[in-house]
Amino acid sequence: MADKGVDGGRGRRPGVVKQQRGNSPQRFYYVLALVVVVGGLFIVRAARQPKVRANVTTAPITPTQAEGYLMGNPNAPVQILEFADFECPACGNFSVITEPDVRSRIVNAGLASYRFFDFPLPMHKNTMAASNAAACAADQGKFWEMHDQLFRNQPEWNTEATDSPKKIFLGYAKGLGINTDTWEKCFDDQTHQPRIMANQAEGIRRKVQSTPTFVIGTRQIPGGMSYDVFKAYVDSAAKEAPAAPKPDTTTKKATPQ
Amino acid sequence: MTRRQILALLAVVGICIALYLTLYKYGVIGVLSCSIGSCETVNTSQWSMLFGIPIAGWGLGAYAALLVLAMVGSTEAREGSVAIARMLVALAGFSVLFSGWLTYLELFVIHAICIWCVTSAVLWVVIFTLCLADLRAVSRASS
Repeated sequence: MADKGVDGGRGRRPGVVKQQRGNSPQRFYYVLALVVVVGGLFIVRAARQPKVRANVTTAPITPTQAEGYLMGNPNAPVQILEFADFECPACGNFSVITEPDVRSRIVNAGLASYRFFDFPLPMHKNTMAASNAAACAADQGKFWEMHDQLFRNQPEWNTEATDSPKKIFLGYAKGLGINTDTWEKCFDDQTHQPRIMANQAEGIRRKVQSTPTFVIGTRQIPGGMSYDVFKAYVDSAAKEAPAAPKPDTTTKKATPQ
Repeated sequence: MTRRQILALLAVVGICIALYLTLYKYGVIGVLSCSIGSCETVNTSQWSMLFGIPIAGWGLGAYAALLVLAMVGSTEAREGSVAIARMLVALAGFSVLFSGWLTYLELFVIHAICIWCVTSAVLWVVIFTLCLADLRAVSRASS
């Protein structure tokens, strides 16, 4: 790649600039053609691939389905929404470390309602299956139990661990006392795919950029946080109540506290 | 191969990357190949559009302009053109700054990295270095 054409002062005539000598234009055009062909093939190949992964159906999405999964009193003064990916480690950490306190000290105390919205990220190959597993558990009133199992045991079923997580999810379902025949049919049929996609669409509409992202009252806060910080947001939102928004109202970005 | 021919080749590489991301943004490509980082997070963020056009689309325009300048500057009549060298430096300089700002957004605002965007940013740094060397060479030669 060294430029041998600039002759370093030897035999140079002022005003005449030859960058290269012995340069072969053909060679350049061959290399250029090669780069164009390789780049073109890559893009054509990418465009021909299915737009969704094999285990995802393209069921139509209706906005009214984006209701998330509710915990607590829907009429509580503060509404909390969580947009999370079951395979995202940060979501798992929040679920295991902070969420138990949020449930017992905020949701169960009637200070806020809590809704979980699936926000499956495409690079996590097993997350859609996990969302389906949780949605099918919800049919039997065990969404949160399955939610906890999934987050607690992420390393057992994530993309690095397995290509077929169904068996592992089935084990969780059995352990939770879920009717596995019904669950399995629901899982295989991807019955709740539209609901999952609608939850994800709600996140996209709200410009969720990372998981987990929380909406607490009127504030949208990306990233996990400690219980104390979470509670501070809830307290702040409670002061704004009863103007606290319903789940589909526009939110504004949070300023860190 | 001359510097400007190398610049043209790098421009084509950049066009491929920018076209790939632009097609993704318009839904032609469904899933980004992204072994490192969170390309979807970055490319679906609110900073992925500027004046109604995907950022990658602006990149496509910049790489296309670089290709045109580099190709014109590679012709025998213009291979010593200082004006073209200056335009190349201006284009690449602006693109390096813009890419730097985008990388800052990825690291500190979006908190996600898109490997294709980072590759493009590195590509612009290499291009800018080559453009500076080209300007230096043609300026020295023509003086």
